[in-house]
Amino acid sequence: MTATTAKVRPILAAQRRGGYRDGGGDEREQQFIPSGLLAVLMLIASEMMLFSGLIGSFLIFRMSAPFWPPPSLPHLPIQVTWVNTFVLLGSAGTMYLAVRAVHQNRQRLLRQWLVVTLVLGVLFLGIQGSEWVRLVAHGLTLRSGNYGGTFYVLIGCHGAHVTAAVIWLAAVTAVAVRGRYNARNAAGVERIAAYWYFVCAIWPVLFVLVYLM
Amino acid sequence: MLEHLWFPHDISTFGPQVDWLFLLIFWITVITWAAVMIAMVVFLFQYRHRPGRKAEYIEGNSRLEIFWTTATAVIMIALATLSKSTWAEIKENGPPGQVFYKVTAKQFNWEITYPDPDGNFGPKALTVENEMHVPVNKVVRFDLTSKDVIHSFFVPNMRLKQDAVPGRTIHVWFEAKEPGTYEIPCAELCGFGHSGMQGTLTVESEADFQKWLKDQYANQ
Amino acid sequence: MSSTAAVAVHGAHGEHHELSFWRTYIFSEDHKMIGRQFLFVALFMMSIGGLMAMLMRLDLAWPDTQFSFLKILPQSLQQDSAITANTYNAEFTMHATIMIFFVVMPILVGCFGNFLIPLMIGARDMAFPKLNMLSFWVSAVAGVIMMSSFWVPGGPAAAGWTSYAPLSAVPLYTGVDWGQNLWCISIIVLGVGSLMGSINYITTIINMRTKGMTFFRLPLVIWSLFITAILLLLALPVLTTALALLLFDRMAGTHFFLPAGGGEPLLWQHLFWFFGHPEVYIMILPGMGIASELIATFSRKPIFGYRAMAYAMAAIAFLSWIVWGHHMFQSGMDPALGQGFMLTTMVIAVPSAIKTFNWLGTLYKGDIHYTSAMLNALSFVAMFVIGGLSGIFMACTPVDMYIHDTYFIVAHIHYVLFGGSLFAVFGGIVYWFPKMFGRMMNETLAKVHFWITFVAFNCTFFPMHILGMGGHMRRIYNPTQYDFLKPLEPVNMFISISAFVLGAAQFLLLANMIWSYYKGEKATENPWHANTLEWSAPSPPGHGNWPGPVPVVYRGPYEYSSPESAEDYLPQWQPVEHATAAD
Ligand code: HEA
Ligand code: HEA
Ligand code: CUA
Ligand SMILES: [Cu+2]
Repeated sequence: MTATTAKVRPILAAQRRGGYRDGGGDEREQQFIPSGLLAVLMLIASEMMLFSGLIGSFLIFRMSAPFWPPPSLPHLPIQVTWVNTFVLLGSAGTMYLAVRAVHQNRQRLLRQWLVVTLVLGVLFLGIQGSEWVRLVAHGLTLRSGNYGGTFYVLIGCHGAHVTAAVIWLAAVTAVAVRGRYNARNAAGVERIAAYWYFVCAIWPVLFVLVYLM
Repeated sequence: MLEHLWFPHDISTFGPQVDWLFLLIFWITVITWAAVMIAMVVFLFQYRHRPGRKAEYIEGNSRLEIFWTTATAVIMIALATLSKSTWAEIKENGPPGQVFYKVTAKQFNWEITYPDPDGNFGPKALTVENEMHVPVNKVVRFDLTSKDVIHSFFVPNMRLKQDAVPGRTIHVWFEAKEPGTYEIPCAELCGFGHSGMQGTLTVESEADFQKWLKDQYANQ
Repeated sequence: MSSTAAVAVHGAHGEHHELSFWRTYIFSEDHKMIGRQFLFVALFMMSIGGLMAMLMRLDLAWPDTQFSFLKILPQSLQQDSAITANTYNAEFTMHATIMIFFVVMPILVGCFGNFLIPLMIGARDMAFPKLNMLSFWVSAVAGVIMMSSFWVPGGPAAAGWTSYAPLSAVPLYTGVDWGQNLWCISIIVLGVGSLMGSINYITTIINMRTKGMTFFRLPLVIWSLFITAILLLLALPVLTTALALLLFDRMAGTHFFLPAGGGEPLLWQHLFWFFGHPEVYIMILPGMGIASELIATFSRKPIFGYRAMAYAMAAIAFLSWIVWGHHMFQSGMDPALGQGFMLTTMVIAVPSAIKTFNWLGTLYKGDIHYTSAMLNALSFVAMFVIGGLSGIFMACTPVDMYIHDTYFIVAHIHYVLFGGSLFAVFGGIVYWFPKMFGRMMNETLAKVHFWITFVAFNCTFFPMHILGMGGHMRRIYNPTQYDFLKPLEPVNMFISISAFVLGAAQFLLLANMIWSYYKGEKATENPWHANTLEWSAPSPPGHGNWPGPVPVVYRGPYEYSSPESAEDYLPQWQPVEHATAAD
């Protein structure tokens, strides 16, 4: 009844491994975008809604507050964060160079730019972390009214996303070191790149809203 | 029993407008519903399967499509337009007030604050739990707020409902047309005492109202 | 190239043995098995959600009465064999939460989505089978977390399924401590599971269609699931935000929703309903899709206005983002905003009208077969219209002022969610049972189930409109505390008795499914003579769905009674046999 003919079994096995990319010889409608990348783009769309919810909440508090920050609480470190903003935006640039390298089949360049991106990402997290430590020491905590609350939730949410992206990037870099990517097999790099751009692109928005406004 | 299967008796000035809109929608929807059901039942009977029958191959009809889209859109937009002014009168503007109170909800009572004899809400103002007395045919305005969670000030006999939100003061008005006592249930879930949280609204003549108020101050 | 071949051969080797029990039934990556898993879990959850409803109805008919048989329930559901104010709040909260998040969504999206998408678009599985499996298991964990809250001290969440802050934000206000935390955590976890699911659905539908299956040849149920997945993808993260903020308020001492610390209670409502309204369409769109399939198939006629139907669903999805304020008309939100939300809410009736009239158009001049699946689909249309029309009353702000938070709303909820979504589910189960399990369901029993459910449903929920017009508030455990509600108590009694019949009738469905699973008549490949692609696969389909190559699609899904064919159906996968004379 449920017997599978010998013919499909290998197809199935291959598909299970390869994520059904081309249906194992079956005919399909044309694909305009690889499934993996599409999935990442949708993840990004979903995350954007997550951030919209947080940003919306932040704006409601920000707009209705007579003083921001409240008098007793420390201001946010603007200079360092300017630097950090450039670190993160720079990492988007190096990520772009990595993608270009893999499309041109230049393995060493790919590895170099991935590592640089990774370092910049970690640097960003490090600077953020040390600033947080200082802020907490100055008395700004999650419980410091909605000023502290929104700051830590919003920036923390971004930080968590950068952390996730860094871990993912580290995994991709490890694969790249083994030379597995090339011009025809660049999807893995493209996927992390898409996510990385997203994490970088959302930052300037947060920077302007939370730090500068 | 049957007389209870409809709205409670209305005593507010804006109630008739609310009921009128309800009835308008009632008839629009009843007619729509009847039309849909009659068409459905007729089709179901007329085109039921019989041996040898074959359905007619019809893929659609753009003119019909346009017709029912615009017809519904027109009805709906008209309905929204018709409702605007009633809503604006009840919740946005309304007549100037003649009697003023503060109403504060808390788990699980209504605190009604009456102004002191000079008309101020100072320390001498009178606060009574769950008893709201108002003079008949006067515009009552009150500031509604809550001490803890969200409650909702509901007077079924006036069709009036307004949530009381902590941290916010909401201005509410009504004018009662008929003396009597009515219930003020809380309509928003506010915890385990939500069921049973209620006050009474006593609408009485100006004289009775003043007398009641005087007694209350005396007892204070 | 050679490496792929090697992989394939290696894989074939691995496949020689049947997959183990665990890989077949528990940690399955097969979309059909995952679909069935969702179905079983959701039906189980329905009995819990239903039990909550029965307890509520018991209390509303005989408030504050002790029933010794209640003793068997956990302390969080009864106290001294009676349903008290506390436990009643927990009951309707869990009732709605379970029905919405663990019954309707898992069946419509989890079960039908998983089972139908690959089969109907001509794919061998989802785009990401592993992610699919993970999606089920993450949702299952969410279910376990939710269930466990029945046994924590303080009982489960009791702030309504809408969990309005500040009530939900401070344990003291409800007396519920960990129950509410678990509620938040469970739904955050569920959100992750459904994110995985929706990514999978969208990718699969965009990228895995078989040759010839263009977008405008997709069956409407696939359109509906596609649009639903987009709504899920974008709506649930907003709920996640709200839940996370609520958890911070409860556990980390923040004041996002607490006015005492500068918070804003209405923020919760805005976030919740920004999610909540798309959510209600998430629960009806797949139902509309299922009804479209069934009505076309059993009218033996093309769906009337196929494109209009697809566009209408897209319009509903789009409009659903701009109507959320209609839940907040009386909330203290700026009344001027209410005017805007009234208009958008009224406008959302338009695409629903398009759908309704097109279903009627499909019946017109059809050849209507009264199978139990068709009866359920027809009652979907009739009941959805009643529920939808009652929505118009609430959309009108002044009228909503009176009926907001009364049983009029409860009637609306159940007409759209039970009358709509669940009747579609019942129809879908009878219709696809043969494909899912290889056997037909017992038609007589299915019809008995349908008629009892239909009558009991209307007796239960129609009188709630009258309660609502009488001013009967929702979420009160004892209406006899109010003088003005005392005359309505007989109505409550009548509703409760009907509700018990309604609940008991669901055992017929269960019995029918179990009996048919073992003893039902063996199903052929295409028992309903339907056109869509799933009926070209064996019943039930094995791994990979089609033993041979995936069929190629030649035409749209609703070519019933086409003049091109002698039969009254012309499947999507059938090549044109005679070169047609027409152009
Ligand atoms: C599947 C779920 C579902 C669906 C599809 C709908 C559909 C609609 N809902 Fe409903 N709604 C809920 C589930 C749903 N709702 C739930 C669960 C709640 C309560 C939440 C809570 O507080 O707990 C709620 C609450 C709710 C409220 C808030 C009430 C209140 O709390 O005060 C409002 C207010 O506007 C509303 C309106 C509507 C409207 C206008 C539609 C429209 O989409 C309906 C459109 C359909 C039709 C109109 C019928 C078909 C059309 C025709 C036959 C054409 C001709 C029609 C005319 C000319 C009028 N709903
Ligand atoms: C899909 C959604 C869905 C479904 C299917 C149902 C189904 C039912 N609902 Fe529910 N309901 C909601 C969604 C749903 N509801 C929502 C969102 C609310 C608002 C909650 C809130 O205010 O926060 C609500 C609220 C609500 C209330 C109002 C509570 C209040 O405000 O005080 C009531 C009262 O009668 C009620 C009753 C019922 C009944 C009798 C059924 C019946 O149809 C159930 C029938 C039973 C089954 C389908 C399962 C079979 C049963 C068993 C196997 C158990 C054993 C059987 C016996 C003992 C006979 N529901
Ligand atoms: Cu106060 Cu409900
Ligand atoms: Cu809504």
